[in-house]
Amino acid sequence: MTKSTTGISSEDIEFSTFYVGGALCGIDILNIQEINKHFEITRVPQASDYIEGILNLRGRIVTIIDLGKKLGLSPVNKDKDNRNIIVNSEDEHIGLLVDSISDVALAKRENIEPAPSNIGGVKGKFFQGVLKTEKQLIGILDIDEVLKE
Amino acid sequence: MFEDDETLQMYIEESLDHLGDIESDLLTIEEAGANIDLDLVNNVFRAAHSIKGGAGFMGLTTIKDLAHHLENVLGLVRNKELVPDSNRISVLLKGFDELEDLLNNIETSNDVDVSDHVSALENITKSSLPEEKQDMVSQIVDIVLKDSRVFPQVSLFEIEQYKAEGKNLFLVEYDLIHDIQRKDKNPIEVLNSLQKTGTIIDSRIDFDSVGILSENSGPSRIPFQVLFASIIEYDMTETLFDIKKQYIHAISDDMIISTSATDMNAEPATMPYKGESEKASVAGLPEQKNIAVQQAVKKQVVTTPAVKPVIQKTKKVMAKEKQSPSKTEKEVHISAKAQTSLRVNVGLLDTLMNLAGELVLSRNQLLQGVNSSNAKATELSSQRIDMITSELQEAIMRTRMQPIANILNKFTRVVRDLSQQLGKSIDLIIEGKDVELDKTILEAINDPLTHLIRNSVDHGIETPMEREQMGKNGTGKIILKAFHDAGQVNIVISDDGKGLVPDKIADSAIDKGLVTDQQVAEMSERQKMELIFLPGFSTAKEITDVSGRGVGMDVVTTNIESLGGIIELDSTPGEGTDIQIKLPLTLAIIPSQITSVGNERYAVPQVNLNELLRIPASQVKEKIEKVGDASVVRLRGELLPLIDLSKMLGIKKLYNDPENNDELEDRRQNLADRRSRQHIITEDGELIAAPDQEKEKPERNEEDRRYHARSALNIAVVSAGAFKYGLVVDQLYDSEEIVVKPVGRHLKKCTAYAGATIMGDGKVALILDISNLAQIAELSSVSEAGQIAKAAEEAAEAAKDKAALLTFKNSETEHFAAPLNIVERIERIQTSTIEQIGGRKVVQYRGGALPLYELSQVADFKPLPEKEQQEVIVFKIKDRELGLMVMPPVDALEVTLDIDESTLKQPAISGSMIINKHTTLLVDIFEMVKILNPEWFQEEAKVAAKMAESGEKILLFAEDSAFFRNQVKTFMEEDGFKVIEAEDGLIAWELLKERVDEIDMVVTDLEMPNMDGFELTKRIKSDPKYSHLDVIALTSLASEAHIEKGRKVGIDEYEIKLDREKLMKIIRKKLNLSK
Repeated sequence: MTKSTTGISSEDIEFSTFYVGGALCGIDILNIQEINKHFEITRVPQASDYIEGILNLRGRIVTIIDLGKKLGLSPVNKDKDNRNIIVNSEDEHIGLLVDSISDVALAKRENIEPAPSNIGGVKGKFFQGVLKTEKQLIGILDIDEVLKE
Repeated sequence: MFEDDETLQMYIEESLDHLGDIESDLLTIEEAGANIDLDLVNNVFRAAHSIKGGAGFMGLTTIKDLAHHLENVLGLVRNKELVPDSNRISVLLKGFDELEDLLNNIETSNDVDVSDHVSALENITKSSLPEEKQDMVSQIVDIVLKDSRVFPQVSLFEIEQYKAEGKNLFLVEYDLIHDIQRKDKNPIEVLNSLQKTGTIIDSRIDFDSVGILSENSGPSRIPFQVLFASIIEYDMTETLFDIKKQYIHAISDDMIISTSATDMNAEPATMPYKGESEKASVAGLPEQKNIAVQQAVKKQVVTTPAVKPVIQKTKKVMAKEKQSPSKTEKEVHISAKAQTSLRVNVGLLDTLMNLAGELVLSRNQLLQGVNSSNAKATELSSQRIDMITSELQEAIMRTRMQPIANILNKFTRVVRDLSQQLGKSIDLIIEGKDVELDKTILEAINDPLTHLIRNSVDHGIETPMEREQMGKNGTGKIILKAFHDAGQVNIVISDDGKGLVPDKIADSAIDKGLVTDQQVAEMSERQKMELIFLPGFSTAKEITDVSGRGVGMDVVTTNIESLGGIIELDSTPGEGTDIQIKLPLTLAIIPSQITSVGNERYAVPQVNLNELLRIPASQVKEKIEKVGDASVVRLRGELLPLIDLSKMLGIKKLYNDPENNDELEDRRQNLADRRSRQHIITEDGELIAAPDQEKEKPERNEEDRRYHARSALNIAVVSAGAFKYGLVVDQLYDSEEIVVKPVGRHLKKCTAYAGATIMGDGKVALILDISNLAQIAELSSVSEAGQIAKAAEEAAEAAKDKAALLTFKNSETEHFAAPLNIVERIERIQTSTIEQIGGRKVVQYRGGALPLYELSQVADFKPLPEKEQQEVIVFKIKDRELGLMVMPPVDALEVTLDIDESTLKQPAISGSMIINKHTTLLVDIFEMVKILNPEWFQEEAKVAAKMAESGEKILLFAEDSAFFRNQVKTFMEEDGFKVIEAEDGLIAWELLKERVDEIDMVVTDLEMPNMDGFELTKRIKSDPKYSHLDVIALTSLASEAHIEKGRKVGIDEYEIKLDREKLMKIIRKKLNLSK
């Protein structure tokens, strides 16, 4: 991956893309702390239903959110492709549980188009924009908006 | 201002350190009055002095100014020229407060106006001086060196003070670059070392000369000037200061020049100076000349520093204008500011270092062991690491520990100021200052404690006049005590004031709409007092600015509970109030009980845990009762509300396999179902919704499930404040020390948890917030719980007539029982020792002959089989003992009486009931003895006959159980009384109203439907028409709480049901009848 990033100008943004509830979404790679597959998740009864539970990430307690439920899509199907994307938001690590991880997409800032009011059933406010690639449409998530309670 | 952050920080810390003890010192000085403790005064004086010394060097003019004036006053106190009375101390205290504020906000300190403090202090100084010296106090002079450089703005008064003490004055010019920095010193250190040999009057950095010098020559110096007073002669100074003599200037009087600041009133300014100079053993110059020199030099000087005072003045004006808003803002800011650095004992740091070293060594060993797969080495090193970790933890903890004195001491001041303001006289006694607490906790309890102390002073302690009227000492007493107990820190605040009046509090709470009349009616005194913890409550009729600022006791409670602490209240009206706060030693690591529900673990903080309770499956039915929607458990006579954690958190029990949990869950419900036909325990909500599951029940093998380990109930008995409840969990594990970790923001609104922790296996467990759980479950000490518990109590009591029975057998198939309370002893005797005399069996027993009987003698039962040993139950009737020979097992048990009086009625048998699946006959021992020994009762019969002749005594007897009614009525009538029966309290009451003239005494059962014995007694005792009647209560089980309750409503005597003799004795005694 380091090789593919050579020659990127400051105008280029890398997105880590992933599938959630059938939709392909992306997050600016600079927002991502790590991606892991720890599923020793402790459930938190009485928390909002999109909260999958809490996880011990090297001594830190990380809240894991089922991104599918949070975005109003179908809940994440539990299988071996699931991953936690640990993002940094408001000085806190939060894990986003997604169905599966896809490629890293490279895009120029000007290629990102404003998000329509609705992308595949997800409210437009959750997106910073959309990125059209040759094959697909990637919704670029606005992490802070998604993680609002 | 001086820009070196590190030096500045060091200065601030040191200064704040100096200020730390000042308050208590000043208060002690105040107490001592004219009887001055020089050490203490010196202490305070030195503090002000060092602060001033550093401030000059740092360019902190305001601080210097204020510290200087404080020092002046203290100097006078030290020289016994001034008596530190309470007003003066107040000024000093305020001055030091301001100083602390300034130090805490060092950045803005130079813009703060302290003229109020300064003039107040100046007034004190002036008042103690002879008139001609007074003006000197506010006079500022400059010191002009021979090369006409100026050390400006020195207090003349101070210089004169030192001169009067016979000290020499020097101006020492260090060079910041060569003398200090290059020699690896620090300005503050230099000042500190100078302090040892003399007194620093002032210090500054002469920036003016820096500029000039750098123009001329390459290597510049930054002169750091120190004005120093010492008894050392000029010759010695070179060695002392460790700099060249050319930089040490001895100050002679002609160098001291009055400045332009005071020049406006030059006349008075020179006057005292003149007077003073005469006294001081200086130059001996003629007066004229002295003045002349002074004035001559003044002209020279004026040009340079003249601008300065003007600037300062405008600054002051500006500061004054914005003073009021900025000041309040600042105060808020200070209280929110947390301490950022900490002093740690060096020894402790060494210990930490050692431990760290050991840890590294052990890690190396461990790695080696693992690499070489040496199990033994691995085990050894892991043990070592375990040990070192604990020690390390403890040592690190200790670095965070601070003596509680840090916050307790300041309360002396709070109490002093407040009591003065309120016109009260109060002694504050502080005990246990050495107790150490985690820094975070210490900081967090400051506000709650202040509030509580303020409350005690404001609402608790009465005015001296009120106190004297009540016969108390005019001076109130507040004791603030800290001590360790059971791994917790306890802080007790007790006052000997007016105390809390429960009913007054309750009324006030009703008025405010916080509780209802009905709720209050059911509350205990303590519960009523605890109403003050409710949000929106304030006992004061008016909110004073002292304790009420919109902050109530509820905030105090919340704060303390958020620290994992507990607050308890105890008060006796008229005598005082005790408030006890229990706090954990630290917040970061807490001992906890690990429990589990489903397959998740939950930690219950040990502070909240009272005990663990396991109810075996076989006892669940008896122990757990259902009242309304709530389940309760009977624990040592008290009803404890239960919260089922799984139900509360919506976790399915035994949720082992996510894919097929249904089956497991259902089984569990059935188990609960079976046990809880009448007393439903836990998942009742779901249970009612699924009644068809109940049909399954008979098909199951009951024996199997009864001993199924999982159907036992595990309960953690926890307390939140004074309120206790039982938390039903699936499993109870070990108690562990857990590290509290914060949870993310998305979980903040889940109030059921206090945080999370990481368990040994790396998984996360949630920490339960016990008091919030109770709130979520809507159990609280004030409302529901009380009602539930009471309702449960009533329901339970009404449903039962319990009695303690002794069960035994006569033959293998014949089961008997007798009331336990008339049994004296149970003996086992050798059959060979039984003697047959005159057709009767006796045994020699305790020096007498004990007659022995068996049941076959009185009724149609089988004779006892022959054995080597014989069990004998010894009864005492009519002061004579007799033994009933029985067959073992002899067992005592408590049963609910449900007696069939007719079916198996025989002589000496009062009825039958089922105990442990056996039809058991209840032996009427009294009747048995009567049959066997009619002659014992002849006397009784005579008395009865006599009484019948002389006019009958009539007893009103209320009892709901027909069995007891008949029993008791029978033996009352046998003794010659006439009995009016009533089936419950209400009927008894009606009967009493009709026939009050005939009735001589009331005997009543306590637990009855419609109206219980307590209510009946209450009515009788509160109505003058009936209150003359004695009330004897009959009870099957008398608990302390019951007896207490009975006493309150006016029950005269308590008797146990079926203890015929004692009851009759009491009745006779009360009616003044002798045998």
